[in-house]
Amino acid sequence: MKSYDVVINHKGPVNLEIIDQILHQLKNYLNHKIDDKVIRKRVYSLTVECLDNILKHSDLNDESHELVTSYPPRFIVEKIGEDFLIHTGNIIFNSNIDLVMQKIEKLNSLTQIDINSLYKESLSNAEISEKGGAGLGLIVMAKTTGQKIKYDFERINNNFSYFAMQLSLKK
Amino acid sequence: MKKLNIAATEKSPKVIFDPDHYLFEMEGNSRPENVRDFYYPIIENLGSFFEKYITKKDFEVKNENPFKFNFKLDYFNSSSAKFISDILVIVKTYSEKNLNIKIYWYFEDGDEDMKEVGEEFSDMISVPFNYIMISK
Repeated sequence: MKSYDVVINHKGPVNLEIIDQILHQLKNYLNHKIDDKVIRKRVYSLTVECLDNILKHSDLNDESHELVTSYPPRFIVEKIGEDFLIHTGNIIFNSNIDLVMQKIEKLNSLTQIDINSLYKESLSNAEISEKGGAGLGLIVMAKTTGQKIKYDFERINNNFSYFAMQLSLKK
Repeated sequence: MKKLNIAATEKSPKVIFDPDHYLFEMEGNSRPENVRDFYYPIIENLGSFFEKYITKKDFEVKNENPFKFNFKLDYFNSSSAKFISDILVIVKTYSEKNLNIKIYWYFEDGDEDMKEVGEEFSDMISVPFNYIMISK
């Protein structure tokens, strides 16, 4: 039977302080349990990009809002055998669903070679947004995992949905 | 011209720019909280320095010494990658104007991804890098 570890299980607000705590916890785990440097750095890099996306792209951040209490941001890392599964979740505007879906679908349709080309092209053309993002996070996730990005949108009400994403990193 | 000597933190790299010794160096981790505030001054400083430098009369003489760009990075996030690519675009611009520049890309033994990132950057700006493996 495959070994199973819950490396990180975070449900609740995501801010800079919490990101630091999660990364600290993750580093401890990786340094003690994972020998392969490439895997260690890939899990770390995916975690940074996922948490950064939750921080910058959640469309409802008021921690006291009842929807945020019912649908809190989520970041989970599981280790199954030698592989890692990363789950993220955050609330987004229904009006942003198409944009996110198009970005992911485009990445899922590309070969690894095309993703690498897209990454280089995007680096040259990227503009840094007001929130400090370069719009490269999803591309880096697709590039790092080499796997399709799984995702789902659960409708909450007329304005908001819960965006869930799953990344798989295979050794 | 302004020398730079920025100390490393857990989230941001050490950055040295020492024109007297023909050296630019970045070392450590890069995921600064405000990536723009961190990188803009560095990029502006580099750009304006080289713009003036290549118009100087003694440029031809000085050009015998290569300007070294050392990248000794352990980890950087995607928005830092954008700014590192902006620094490399400056390198490309002035190396195309015959400025003698050498790029040294360091990576830890076993960290093939970091070497690959260097190769991608090199490919992107069409300037060859020198790769240096560090044993730890």
